[in-house]
Amino acid sequence: MHKFMTRRRFHVIWTTVLITILALFFLFPLVWMIVSSMKPESQIYANISNFKAFLPSGHISDWGKAYVSIFHRFPVMRYILNSVFYATSVTIGSIVVNALAGYGFAKFNFTGRKLLFGLLIALLVIPGTTLLIQQFQIAKTIGILNTPLAVILPGISSPFYIYMFRNAFAAIPDSITEAAELDGASNLRIFWNILLPMTLPTVATVGTLSFIGSWNDYVWPLMVLTNSDQFPLQVAITNINSTNPVYMNQVMAILTISTVPLVLVYIFFQKYLTQGMGSAGNGDK
Amino acid sequence: MQTKGIKRQIGWLYVLPAILILLTFLIIPFLMSFSYSFTNYNILTPWAKQYVGFTNYINTFKDPVFLQSLKNIAQFVIFIMPIQVGAALGLALIVNKKRPGNTFFKISFFAPQVVSLTVVSILWMYILNPDQGLLNGILGIFHIKPQPFLTSPKQAMFAIIGVSAWQGAGYQMLIFLAGLQNIPDSLYEAAELDGANSWQRFLHITLPMLKPTSMMILTTTFISAFNLVIQPMIMTQGGPQNATMTPIYYIYRTGFTDRQLGYASAMSVIYGIIIIIFTIIQRKITNAGGDENA
Repeated sequence: MHKFMTRRRFHVIWTTVLITILALFFLFPLVWMIVSSMKPESQIYANISNFKAFLPSGHISDWGKAYVSIFHRFPVMRYILNSVFYATSVTIGSIVVNALAGYGFAKFNFTGRKLLFGLLIALLVIPGTTLLIQQFQIAKTIGILNTPLAVILPGISSPFYIYMFRNAFAAIPDSITEAAELDGASNLRIFWNILLPMTLPTVATVGTLSFIGSWNDYVWPLMVLTNSDQFPLQVAITNINSTNPVYMNQVMAILTISTVPLVLVYIFFQKYLTQGMGSAGNGDK
Repeated sequence: MQTKGIKRQIGWLYVLPAILILLTFLIIPFLMSFSYSFTNYNILTPWAKQYVGFTNYINTFKDPVFLQSLKNIAQFVIFIMPIQVGAALGLALIVNKKRPGNTFFKISFFAPQVVSLTVVSILWMYILNPDQGLLNGILGIFHIKPQPFLTSPKQAMFAIIGVSAWQGAGYQMLIFLAGLQNIPDSLYEAAELDGANSWQRFLHITLPMLKPTSMMILTTTFISAFNLVIQPMIMTQGGPQNATMTPIYYIYRTGFTDRQLGYASAMSVIYGIIIIIFTIIQRKITNAGGDENA
């Protein structure tokens, strides 16, 4: 019995060590990114093949220097605010527009509803990424290039999110909405005060996915914006990474900065993420 | 059950904003790709736009870069599927067991997912730098000679596959984990009483019970892999020698950078149809026994 216990304990220690090594494999690039932003560039290169690669500078006064420089050289605050503005607008727009459409499809028997909904389901298979250049032509034609509208508008409506909202609303019995109607509530009041609060998980899922999608979007804003003052962070960081002189510690600083907001979103909204799995790879941006 | 057949036209008003945006940014662009594909439309010389029949389509099959990009994306899809999904399943099995430090492990495996693809691409460019990169630095400790990584036509796509799997596995791990936690403990207990060892329990309980989750993850990974563009765009610009050129990136380069909208549209149509066919097959597979009511 005693022998068995020690063997078992040995087994536990052994697997824990292996799993820790595996965890470090997933973490090391991110640790390196953060610590490299906290030391002079020369130290990054000097430390590249020893364990010091994963330690910040020995002098605490060095830690913030790359951050000060990057804020000095580039309007980083502006990029952050741009990204926050685009992502928030897309999130709010996406919730309102897709939820309203889901409401229309779920609770109103208007002429052409079946046809329109069939079309919507068909749209689920159209890959938006193959249509970037045609979408650009549209943005150019309607005159929204180099405006925030060009970044925000295409990300607002998504067949998949409409489908999600429609299913969520259809699951709410008509008796509830009819009772409210008898009490004299308008359609929009019913939508806003009854239906949306009853489908908060769907609202949160669509909102979270929209925010992350917009925050991470790169190719589309790169295409429709030419003025660097309007760049969101994702475009700005590639710009910074190719604007001479390029200092590695400053690049790592801006990479770290642009990751912080997403960390917060994931911490607070993690449980809503797995529900939107099916949206990956469809026409929505 | 709903709406009781009374016509209520106000519904149009609610679906209208969404439909208008979809019309503008999805349906019309989709139709445009067809109509442009039969012309020699060049944005620099729009007045010379002419109907050219199937010329663009014929040219795509003679375009070595486009053919190479199709081969590259096939390579990416074939390798990313088992690597990323296998890793995700393995990680889920690891964190599904109660052991000290479990929360730390879960967060570690998921961490790369939190970083945007743009950041991931730039970060790994520095890590994979052949001369002064971190990875060659680490390999040096184990006396492995420096590798060219992104600068080698042979290794570049595999480097992108590795980076993409590293980034994406954590998200799928969470979904596998949810699937694992839905398997009733009683099944395992019964099997244990019957004398099944842990490998047999995995093979005969875990895997079959995970089938719906696995199918969903496999098919969504499959379809989204076709959209690969940011990593090659930032890390390699499609090189070296077009070894990491992907169809989406080539369409973007031809239509946007080189302004050949007609030719790029023909490629949009071809590649779009390829993706649509695979997506429909995917939906057929995942909805077999499902409850999609259109």
